Amino acid sequence: MKTFFLTALLLITVTVFAQDKPLSLDENGKLIFYEVVDLKTVPRDSLRQRLDIFLKAEGKALKVKSKASDSILQAAGKTIIRKTALVLSRPSGEVRYNFYAELRAGKYRFWLTDFNFIPYERDRYGNFVPATSIGVPLERKPGKLNAGEWDAYVKATTKDVNAFAARFKTAMQQSSPLQPVLEAVPVISTKKW
Amino acid sequence: MKLKSALTIAALSLASVSYAQEAAKVAPLEISGSVDTYFKYDFAKVPNIATSFASDQNSISIGMIDLALKKTTGKASFVGELSFGPRGQAGSLVPQGAESFHIQNLYASYAFTDKFSMTAGFMGTFIGYEVISPVANFNYSTSYLFSAGPFQNAGIKGSYAFTDKVSLMVGLFDDWNVYTDVNGVSHIGAQLTVSPVEGWTAYLNVLSGKSAGAVGVGTIMDLTTSYQVTEKVKIGLNAADYTIGNSGGGYSGAALYLQNAFSPAVSLGVRGEYFSTKDKVNGAANLNVVPGESVTAVTLSANIKSGGLTFIPEVRFDNGSADMFAKSNLLPTKSASQFSLALVYAF
Repeated sequence: MKTFFLTALLLITVTVFAQDKPLSLDENGKLIFYEVVDLKTVPRDSLRQRLDIFLKAEGKALKVKSKASDSILQAAGKTIIRKTALVLSRPSGEVRYNFYAELRAGKYRFWLTDFNFIPYERDRYGNFVPATSIGVPLERKPGKLNAGEWDAYVKATTKDVNAFAARFKTAMQQSSPLQPVLEAVPVISTKKW
Repeated sequence: MKLKSALTIAALSLASVSYAQEAAKVAPLEISGSVDTYFKYDFAKVPNIATSFASDQNSISIGMIDLALKKTTGKASFVGELSFGPRGQAGSLVPQGAESFHIQNLYASYAFTDKFSMTAGFMGTFIGYEVISPVANFNYSTSYLFSAGPFQNAGIKGSYAFTDKVSLMVGLFDDWNVYTDVNGVSHIGAQLTVSPVEGWTAYLNVLSGKSAGAVGVGTIMDLTTSYQVTEKVKIGLNAADYTIGNSGGGYSGAALYLQNAFSPAVSLGVRGEYFSTKDKVNGAANLNVVPGESVTAVTLSANIKSGGLTFIPEVRFDNGSADMFAKSNLLPTKSASQFSLALVYAF
């Protein structure tokens, strides 16, 4: 019985605290999330269509900065960092990043980089707004005074970037746009009884 | 027994973590706030400089506990912000008898579209650069322009964003700093917000109306702007002019703010201000500056941050056009100086 409970506790802990893929450093010392995905039977045009559908689904969350003719897609995004305790939460800042994607027949690669942290502060109306317009690169060490908070920002960013990557890869695997599932409303017949 | 306790604690911990993750998917209730405390010493041993808040001389004193709630559900939202303590109570005006608290914000808002929203209630004023909360001010002592201007405005306003660079707010407001307007909703105000380039925002503000007991219509015109020049350097400017008709007095002034962040934890800022009062006839003395006279003030402050805590050491020098301060022997003098140490914790 003891062994059962300990095993169950261990499994739950592993599930809840599953490790995200950490951010790496690129050749320029900047934090980056980089992945190459093989989809051997998918032509480039199909990959481009799926990419366009993904960008449309993301809406205002991703602002495309490159032109349609560019070989590498570039878009700007941001993730809100929140301080959460039980049911209470408030934004403490945002991390802005650039998203890049490049397509070839049968494969594609994407990466997120240029992470910049912008702290939030409460304005005169009680709303949280960016305290500055120029962020601090996330790879920069903050010094001892703010090291704990900075680690938390990097962890939260890693979590959100992994979630973004999972969404993107799922969208790129879809052969057709997802249709909304309309659930039939159950109706009781009063005629037959 | 120990294993049972460990399992119970683990189960409760998992429940709180998962609840937080679930709560994050819907708009959560936001609770935030601050606490602040300070020590101030005027070198003349009398509290010469008429700064709002931070007014106790040679005393380890408290500012306030500030608590703000915010909730957004779809297009509707509300903010309720209460403060307790001298900074939030007597220092924030609105004396209502024996309350031990002060309402900083109490309003509801509805976003009809992405561009247009309306808000009604009691709100922090849209006029001026500095605010009541110590968290949003770089300097701990406040400027003359802040102390002389409105602190809060109750009213109803509509805001429209023409583009992401230009927006306009227009509203009807009660008298300055009151929960209830005894002579009817009497003020009209507007704010034009312009962001010409990234990092630079300018607000052109106007508020006009006849307050209860005033001899004429009072109109304040205010420019507030800030520019994040580089990652480290920020410049701010506040200029205002307030005139009450029928020679009712008023004031004008300008303050320049320069800040440099040596690191994410350490910044240094200087504020230079010029403030003058109008009309020798009917004009009341604003903040010890008698009608027709002026004062310049230079304030040097540091912000040393660790997490939510900010330590603010500050020194300030004020110089009047006439004798408006007192020496340690209580003889009048034109100049005053003070230093202060403040701790502000924001959560």
